[in-house]
Amino acid sequence: MPFENSWLFPVVESVHVIGLAAFVGTVVLGDVRTLGLRVPDTKHLKAWTHAGLAAMLLTGAAMFFSDTARYLHNPAFQVKAALLVVALAAHFTLRRRGTRFAAVLSLTLWTCVVLAARAIIDFDV
Amino acid sequence: MFNPLLELARSMQDTSLRLDLSQSTWAVPIIGAIHVLAVAWFGGSVLVNDVRLRRFRWTGLSILLVTGALLFWSQPLRLYYSQFFRLKILLLILTGACALLPARYARVAMALSLALWAGVIFASRGIAYR
Repeated sequence: MPFENSWLFPVVESVHVIGLAAFVGTVVLGDVRTLGLRVPDTKHLKAWTHAGLAAMLLTGAAMFFSDTARYLHNPAFQVKAALLVVALAAHFTLRRRGTRFAAVLSLTLWTCVVLAARAIIDFDV
Repeated sequence: MFNPLLELARSMQDTSLRLDLSQSTWAVPIIGAIHVLAVAWFGGSVLVNDVRLRRFRWTGLSILLVTGALLFWSQPLRLYYSQFFRLKILLLILTGACALLPARYARVAMALSLALWAGVIFASRGIAYR
């Protein structure tokens, strides 16, 4: 999928960031609510969480397959990928229990995923 | 013709802060990363129309504005001339105006501001690529 040189890549990347706002944004709301912040019930936001995650996975895959060599050799991407697997696993298992530990872990992991992702461009050769 | 915005960008370009920000290896990447985290912070809270979240929302927005101002300060002239940056600012102003709509237009205001925020994100990516 050779679209890294056209306008299509920034568009796909933008959808990725919008997905981030929806997914990480709603996950953060749920986590800070567990930690005591007076957030109203966030159950109805589940649609946004799922839509955001789907958007991120689809656009992420599209960007990855557009230039697999670049990403596989990029240390920031390697860290991001590893953290992403851990964060997703924690999201679909530990987080269901609603414990404060799960909430702190979720916030920490997703923050690290975002930071690692932002570092990708800095570690490109 | 006197152009106040251009003069402002020029004077910011000549500051030592601009020099430090643009020459530092890690300043812009770290500020940019905090900016993206704030997108998640603020973006999620925008979806919940509850007044109790106001302080949470404002904190996220403040972080966005402060990091955004610093990012602008790292290259004021280039951004001044960037069409995508101008579009982003215009969309931000429109989003601010959305928040001022009376309460009975709440649903319209929410839909409109979400569309505008999406536009802000698209414009932001455009800045990096042009």
